[in-house]
Amino acid sequence: MAGFSLRTNYCVWPAWVVLVLLLAGCGGGSDQPDPSLEGLRVYRHSTEGTPTSLDPVQAATKYSNLLVINTYDTLYSYRYLARPYELKPNLAASLPEISADGLTYTIRLRKGVRFIDDPAFPNAEGREVVAKDVVYSLQRHFDPATRPQGAWLWQGKIVGIDDWKEAGSDYSQPVEGLRALDSHTLQIKLVKPFPQLAYTLAQGYAAVVPREAVEKYGREFALQPVGSGPFRLESFDTARAVLVPNPDYRWAPVDIYAEGYDPDTQSFSGIEAIHGQLPPFVDRFELAFVQDTSARWNSFTKGNEIQIASLPVELADSVLQSKQPVVLQPEYAARYHVKSDIEAGFVYQSFNMDFPEFGYHPDPIQAERNHALRCAVVKSFDWEARNESFYFGLGAVFPGIIPPVVPEFDPELSRDSVTRDVAGARQLLIDNGWNADNLPELLYGSTGGVRPRQFFEQFRAWLVEIGYPKKKVKLKQFASFGDLNKQWRESRLPYIAVGWGLDYPDAENTLQLFYGPNAAPGSNSSNYNNPEYNALYEQAAVMQPSPERTRIYRRMNQILIDDCVSITGLSRTAIPIWHREVIVYPSSQIIGGYYWPYIALSDGAGGIRQAQTESP
Amino acid sequence: MNAQPPASDTIAAPPERRESLWTKAAYKFRRDRVGVWSLAVVLVYMAIALGVVFGWWATSWAELEGGKWEPPSAEHWFGTNIIGQDIFDRAIYSTRTSFEVGLVVAILATALGAVLGALAGFFSGSWTDEIILWFMGVLDSIPFILFVAAIAYSLGDTPYAMHVAMISTFWITAGRLVRGEVIKLRGQEYVEAAHAIGVPELTIIFRHVLPNTSHILLVQATITFVAAIKSEVILSFLGIGVKDGMSWGLMIAESTQEVLAGFFNNFLAASVLLFGLVMAFNLFSDALQDALDPRTVAES
Repeated sequence: MAGFSLRTNYCVWPAWVVLVLLLAGCGGGSDQPDPSLEGLRVYRHSTEGTPTSLDPVQAATKYSNLLVINTYDTLYSYRYLARPYELKPNLAASLPEISADGLTYTIRLRKGVRFIDDPAFPNAEGREVVAKDVVYSLQRHFDPATRPQGAWLWQGKIVGIDDWKEAGSDYSQPVEGLRALDSHTLQIKLVKPFPQLAYTLAQGYAAVVPREAVEKYGREFALQPVGSGPFRLESFDTARAVLVPNPDYRWAPVDIYAEGYDPDTQSFSGIEAIHGQLPPFVDRFELAFVQDTSARWNSFTKGNEIQIASLPVELADSVLQSKQPVVLQPEYAARYHVKSDIEAGFVYQSFNMDFPEFGYHPDPIQAERNHALRCAVVKSFDWEARNESFYFGLGAVFPGIIPPVVPEFDPELSRDSVTRDVAGARQLLIDNGWNADNLPELLYGSTGGVRPRQFFEQFRAWLVEIGYPKKKVKLKQFASFGDLNKQWRESRLPYIAVGWGLDYPDAENTLQLFYGPNAAPGSNSSNYNNPEYNALYEQAAVMQPSPERTRIYRRMNQILIDDCVSITGLSRTAIPIWHREVIVYPSSQIIGGYYWPYIALSDGAGGIRQAQTESP
Repeated sequence: MNAQPPASDTIAAPPERRESLWTKAAYKFRRDRVGVWSLAVVLVYMAIALGVVFGWWATSWAELEGGKWEPPSAEHWFGTNIIGQDIFDRAIYSTRTSFEVGLVVAILATALGAVLGALAGFFSGSWTDEIILWFMGVLDSIPFILFVAAIAYSLGDTPYAMHVAMISTFWITAGRLVRGEVIKLRGQEYVEAAHAIGVPELTIIFRHVLPNTSHILLVQATITFVAAIKSEVILSFLGIGVKDGMSWGLMIAESTQEVLAGFFNNFLAASVLLFGLVMAFNLFSDALQDALDPRTVAES
């Protein structure tokens, strides 16, 4: 057989040349700047998840919410730099006027706000946003045809809204408690006081949509936002979205002090450079959805790709010089900024009280034994080890379900419920007649994947240490979180391990997780139903923030701890990290996504990069 | 070949030891040093797996024995993982998983392939053959990983979903090989003779024909064993494999979260052990195939 020879196979040469050119093209292509973007101020953002829908009624995830609140308007938003988070008027001209009985909210809208130009409108010109649009947008949550996910926020709270839904969600029919008094005045009447109403109107769910666009695009509306927000969507797919500033948005010079600027904690970011400047500060906002941690980090450190990411916890030891406070190693500090961002929410685990093996039991003696069993499991849980293993010790472990991020958090609360006590747990089991033979099987549901499995294995090992037979602690994995959540909602699993992101910075949002009437399929997956707790919840739910309400919240928290219904909790700490040429004070929280319009690029001399203007 | 009857006046020579295919193959295999060494390695793995089954070692694979990501030490030979479990224990325990999956799948897939292949081959050209061939064609046309993933998902919680998925695909190769061999064998005189004296067809197939394909089945079983181990690792890596227990695939999946931090012990432990077993079994399988090859056996 003749051997292959480049010298003799002249006919092969052209093919080699083409191949080499192709490979060269492939290799260099991704690093070459797009000539059409030359001179533009391009900012490249990234998130670790992909939005599933851009329709506000389906903005259930953090990623959908981020895009929704930046392409649509909400009545209220949060001040950019204020911590704790503070509401401010957005589409609304001011904070709501609330009647003395707390039941009627009057909201005045800004005038002259327009939807973006879109073929859905006559002559493809966006029209003014009016109060009827807000009414329509909220009504959509009670129209099953829109497949809404945020109706729970207002269900049973706005007068007549549930009846309107029962009657067939006919938009031609008015809702008594949701009316446009005139073109720029909205009135909301409540069944009972709901002090958190204004917060709900700052969520992506409450974004204002034009009816014309919903009707024109149908299902496609979920991919084609037509809003009045600071950005308009230029393109969107599963890998990335491209946004451009909305030229008709009510841009105004930034007053960082009005936004809650704190020089002590925020000056490092160079945010003062935007003070008094008129946004938008970027011409093009590219958003990459990069789920894989390594890929995201590699893209971030490459230098010419994404400009913001989260520090992977695996790298905390090598990238950070100090964790408390978060300080970068010098070689990273020369290139990046970093901040610590405690989660507005927490992770926790709880028992399903509907299961007589662990929860409520008609026999008082057995019920007491179950209580002891739950408390033993609580004592076995090692939050510090969990924090160290998976959150690099950066998370905040706290007792109860009022997390550190809300004002009602009690730093003085006893930490016994989050302190591991193996001997105490064993003794509790022995004292109540529990042994390896009669301990009930504990089925732990989780999604697939490595991390949930490691959570389970760690938890099982802790239980084994207090005497639980390994074979009685079983893992049941589900293909998706949706499948797992469905099991919880249908009360089919005895144990729940889950996280909760705050919808608004008020402890009511976490306390409702254990309110009896919210039992499955509601948010109370634990099916906890304590009359005293329920009464306190009902009492506090209609109260405005006050020391008395805080006292009630804390009492409720203590009841949960004493009942050992939940193993809680830990607020994770995200570490956003961004290139130094980007001027931003980012937030990783669902309620903190309003910072995008303020993102600027540095000019390298302490100022911000200005838009290029054409020379005369 | 001596066809002459022994002369009555000569002393009968001691009967020549009759050499079967198996004895010749065993002789040839013993002379294949690579084959013997690879078998030894496989036996070592098997001994490790049996030790795990009998609880002699790796009993604490699920316990938290150390701190997070401890380096290799006298106490933890391969270090510890993110929650302080001993990686060596987990890697050793995974040997059992591999053998359990490999054996179950290899035996059942080969047996199924043998039965269906024999039926198809013996009734070649009939509707039985057509149906079995059609079934093989349909299963063959589905991409393997997708098919296995679909079955594993559809069976959900069943602890043996992965086994079922693999058996339902791996039998096809054995089936095709056996079918071809049986088509060849059914024309042999002893089969015709069996027909002539009225032996039922199923008896002919399973008592007289199928045993003569055992050399093919043996080799195919070893190939299936290796394929099953590799598939188990892939499926476990993807999260649709081992449900309760430990596997090299799960360890490699764990390592994907650790390599960014520069921690490779999970990956190395699982990969090295997997590589050793797969390589040894492949070499053993090759040697066995050579030893059982009727052409080379005849030459020897």
